[in-house]
Amino acid sequence: MAVRISDEILHSVEKPSRYTGNEWNSVHKDPKYVKIRFAFCFPDVYEIGMSHLGMRILYHLLNERQDTYCERVFAPWVDMEEKMRENNIPLFALESRDPIRDFDFIGFTLQYEMSYTNIVNMLDLAGVPIRTSERKAGDPFVCAGGPCAYNPEPLADIVDFFMLGEGEEIINEVMDVYAAWKAEGVSREEFLNRIVNIEGVYVPAFYSVEYNPDGTIKRVAPKKDGYPQRIRKRIIKDLDKAYFPEKVVVPFTDIVHDRIMLELFRGCIRGCRFCQAGYIYRPVRERTPERLLELAKKLEESSGYEEISLTSLSTSDYTGLAYLTEELIKEMEKKKVNLSLPSLRIDSFSLDLMEKAQKVRKSGLTFAPEAGTQRLRNVINKGVTEEDLIKSVTIAFSGGWSNVKLYFMLGLPTETYEDIAGIAELGNKVVGAYMGVPKEKRGKGLNVTISTSSFVPKPFTPFQWEGQDTIEVLKEKQQFLLSRIRSKYIRYNWHQSELSLLEAVFARGDRRTGEVLIKAWQKGCKFDSWGEHFKFDKWLEAFEECGLDPYFYANRKRDYSEVFPWDHIDIGVSKKYLLRENEKAYREETTSNCRVECSGCGAAAFGGGICVE
Amino acid sequence: MLNSIRVKFIRGEEVKFISHLDLMKAFERALRRSGIPVAYSQGFNPHPVMVFGLPLSVGVTSEAEYADFDLAEAVEPDEFVERLNAQLPPGLKIVDARKRQRKENIMASVVMASYDVLVSVDGKWGIDEMAASIEQLMQKPVIMAKKETKSGVKDVDIKPMIRRLEVKAAEELADEHCGCQRLYHLFMLLSAGSKSNLKPELLLGALNDLTGLGLKIRKVHRTGLFVGKEEKVVDPLDACS
Repeated sequence: MAVRISDEILHSVEKPSRYTGNEWNSVHKDPKYVKIRFAFCFPDVYEIGMSHLGMRILYHLLNERQDTYCERVFAPWVDMEEKMRENNIPLFALESRDPIRDFDFIGFTLQYEMSYTNIVNMLDLAGVPIRTSERKAGDPFVCAGGPCAYNPEPLADIVDFFMLGEGEEIINEVMDVYAAWKAEGVSREEFLNRIVNIEGVYVPAFYSVEYNPDGTIKRVAPKKDGYPQRIRKRIIKDLDKAYFPEKVVVPFTDIVHDRIMLELFRGCIRGCRFCQAGYIYRPVRERTPERLLELAKKLEESSGYEEISLTSLSTSDYTGLAYLTEELIKEMEKKKVNLSLPSLRIDSFSLDLMEKAQKVRKSGLTFAPEAGTQRLRNVINKGVTEEDLIKSVTIAFSGGWSNVKLYFMLGLPTETYEDIAGIAELGNKVVGAYMGVPKEKRGKGLNVTISTSSFVPKPFTPFQWEGQDTIEVLKEKQQFLLSRIRSKYIRYNWHQSELSLLEAVFARGDRRTGEVLIKAWQKGCKFDSWGEHFKFDKWLEAFEECGLDPYFYANRKRDYSEVFPWDHIDIGVSKKYLLRENEKAYREETTSNCRVECSGCGAAAFGGGICVE
Repeated sequence: MLNSIRVKFIRGEEVKFISHLDLMKAFERALRRSGIPVAYSQGFNPHPVMVFGLPLSVGVTSEAEYADFDLAEAVEPDEFVERLNAQLPPGLKIVDARKRQRKENIMASVVMASYDVLVSVDGKWGIDEMAASIEQLMQKPVIMAKKETKSGVKDVDIKPMIRRLEVKAAEELADEHCGCQRLYHLFMLLSAGSKSNLKPELLLGALNDLTGLGLKIRKVHRTGLFVGKEEKVVDPLDACS
């Protein structure tokens, strides 16, 4: 039975259309005629979740199945949650308004660690037991996927099973098994037994973890012989042949990425050593321009969107970029559809392209040198030189741009105060480059913004062994940089280090950190990535009450020999390779990108993409 | 000659919580999907040239919304309706259309709007007492209300903006209302548009202030929008050709 939400409630909350659905291209089915009901949950608000490409793909993919009805669920904002709890309205799906506790699956996509408390909150609001161990016959299965699932352990006691890697194939395999299982009416555990050997499926309850006296992990082992020792992620070998929806749900209200997203390729050739995405999505696999043009046309016709954007990790690396953009502009101009470009590497080609594509207000250009000196950029394998940057901004300034954002990280391995001072100096050189452009050519009102985030060591990167700087050190570094920035043209922003600490804990957390999550949620933590709701003191209390030390997880440098909570997960890239990269980082040696030379990371084992080209 | 079409459309329950801006966006995208050759504005961000009548408040349904669309090539009204309706999300539907030959656009020409307002009231008030209270209000030479204007909240006499106010009996909604509440429909005909505009909510507030009825709005539904002179209003579709 669908829940009833009175007009009174909808009138009383901010942005009520977050909860009313009925958007163009949303899928509505009669529940009577399906076998499987799937609640696709994004643990954040509508505007963010709706912008997520993975959800856009899997929603339509699941709904292609006759036997399955997939609906969307977002975290209700705090005002709506309050009304729902007051009126005993359980968490419901957007399309049917049916309570999701009656569904077969509740699936979460894990995009960032600081959304985990929202998962706990959503399960509670749904009326579904929070812990795997408490769920019984008739309860939905709670599953999860997405980039954070590569270290699933903090959610091991909450999520019944994970799907690792790209979901397009695996999710159908799991649904097929489920349909048969449901018809037979056998036990919950039997279903998990039947899927545990599907490649990419991880059932945490089937594995036991032993710890050393110092709190590190001794071993993670399957509880039975039949369970896989290591769980390997899934990839789609040929993206041209992979499912990609020709429709997209067109929201009424503004969402973060309110446009068609055309995914050019997966993976990244670069191998920046801090970047998890650069490793977990390997190998690089491109769609052909022909397929992309076909998709763009169909998506445009079915959505009526006024804008198309190209998305990928590093769009400039797409081999067919010139041809694709030229054809897209030709096709879309007559339909009054804009092409929006992500941050490209700035050279004369891309500048020309931006002029053509966006007919822009010359708004901000973003550059991410990440570190202030060449030495440190070599350490992190960020293949950008000062010369590149100055050349790029000079081209941009000559083209009339005058707004530049520079992104850096503080707390990178081997960082010294000289490196930090280098950030300010780089900023000054950018200002100098502007001054060097003749007045009549450059835009008015120079604005340089320097932003620093705090380095968070992530699993499956060459820096997975590193310690994060403590909050105190990070704050000192921020203050030091602030004191070094003296130009009136430069503004400086920095991220909250407390949030970075928690991110570091849950990025590399083990199974025990799950209790901290639940405890923090009980103390009122949710929407942690929304500044106004972040309660650091409650988090510290939660750690203390669980007898865990956040510094053990975030700030401790690990030995090369340490067993990690995620060592039984196999992303193709080997631990040996990451270790080698870590050593090279300390020798300040760079590694070539995948197109220049294969560095033998291990992803070739998948037999796809750039590794076999 | 003007190449433009005026449509009448309904906005149903499904889409009543979207904002006016979102409604326009929904039409813009539906137009693009339909392939109807609409005229686009000049400039960096071309938009279809379209003008909507009186914006509807969030949460309000309507059976009489109007919009003007300029065309790049001639399209017959019937064809326009058919092609656009095929692309409109549930809750939005065009019910009629005409070629627009007069220059004045819908937004500039609206002068009056009618509403059906469902209210709930304490059970001791019968329909006769309701009617008497309304009568009492309408007898007043001036009716002051706090109206939000661009320059802040002002005390304004809303009496001249009330054309008609009548109470009608309502069907009982058995499931959600206990016996201590009654429901009534209020029919309102109010000034609307850029010169003088009165929202049903404001009138209801004034009614409550003066009579102590304690009416609560359950639903607001717009039943008509009118153009022309205040003394002699006409349907916007009749006025455009």
